[in-house]
Parts: sequence; C-alpha cells; structure tokens
Amino acid sequence: MIITFTTVLLYAASDLPLRGNPDNQMNQRESITGTEVPGNYYIREAYHDAHTPNIVTVILGDYRSVDTLGEQIVIFSAGLICFLLLRKRGQNDDE
Amino acid sequence: MLDFFMGHYAYWFTLILLAIGLYGMLLKKNLVKKTIGLSIFQAAVILFFVSVAMKKGATVPVKAKGIPVSEVSNYLNALPHTLMLTAIVVGVATLGVALALIITIYNRYETLNEEELLDKIQ
Repeated sequence: MIITFTTVLLYAASDLPLRGNPDNQMNQRESITGTEVPGNYYIREAYHDAHTPNIVTVILGDYRSVDTLGEQIVIFSAGLICFLLLRKRGQNDDE
Repeated sequence: MLDFFMGHYAYWFTLILLAIGLYGMLLKKNLVKKTIGLSIFQAAVILFFVSVAMKKGATVPVKAKGIPVSEVSNYLNALPHTLMLTAIVVGVATLGVALALIITIYNRYETLNEEELLDKIQ
C-alpha cells in the first residue's frame, strides 16, 4: 500500500512547477484569483515598514506577531505538560 | 529531459523521505520508532516547502547593500521560510511531549511494544 502511495505521489510530482524558476505562479505579482501575492509585498516593504534588514524576522515579529504569540503558548504548554508528566512519576516513586 | 530532472529531483527525494516516515509510523511496533517515523515525515514536509520556495538567481531574504529591494526577483520569498520556522518549533515541542508520554508509558507498563501494550491495558 505504501509503495502504491509513493508511486502515486512521485507521478503527481511531475506536474509540479520546475524548482527555482523565477516565473513560477508563486513568484508572480498576482495569484490566479487576481489578488496580490503576499511574499512580494513583504520583500518590497519589509525594510520600509520595520527598518530591520532580515525579512524573515520582520514577518515573524511584526506582520505575524500574533501567530508567533500562539506559537509561544504552544511551546509553553508543551513544556508544562512534559514537566507535569515526568514529575508525577517521580512522586509515585517516593511513595 | 535534463530540465525536467533538474526541476524535480528535490521533490522526488522529499517524497521518498515522506514514504519512509509513513512506513515507520504504520508498520513499526515500537513506540519510539513510530515517533522517529513521525519526525521524519515532518522533516519531509518542511523540506518540501523550503525547496518549493527556491528561486534561481535570488539571494537569501536579508536586505543587502547593492541589491535593490524594489526588484522582487532579487530575493527569495520569505513567507515559506517563516512559516516553516514556526512549524519546526511547534514540531519540536510536540516531539518533546510525545517522548515524555513514552517515558511515562514505559515506567508504568515496562514495555514499548504496541501489541504487548494493548494486551497489558486490557
């Protein structure tokens, strides 16, 4: 079953756009629906908006700061869950 | 033909990695090996997105002197990189939770084999 799945995936990959071609749909000015592609806006306006050279940092910290806050919450709760899981076992050992 | 190969070989490698991860998740009995399969699967998806974001003749999305920002084709699309950064961090967090759960399971049932575990639970 996995071999069949992989074959289907490999066949489907041949319809993907050529890797690295600057004329790909995702690198063009407008998407198929006629709206502007966000990546281009980020490249053009990131330094002007935040005065930070690193565009990835600007997107992560400025444009998508709420998303990053949610990510921090996920990390925090994961750490809390790890702590609770491992600590409970330690208490049982003591008893 | 060569163009086709050069444009797609990265996709093929990531898809093979994806299949390896799926195989580990579905067919391995050991819970640690299942988790490793999950991790490989995740790495394959992340690699796929990063390789899609590649653009020939462009530099990394950090503003450099002498490369004008106004011409979009000078820089890579930074959005996939950002989202994959988020995905990597969240993936590491969930992996940590999974390993902590595995430690708890092993401490209680003294086994990590899935079938033995199902027998002991019942």
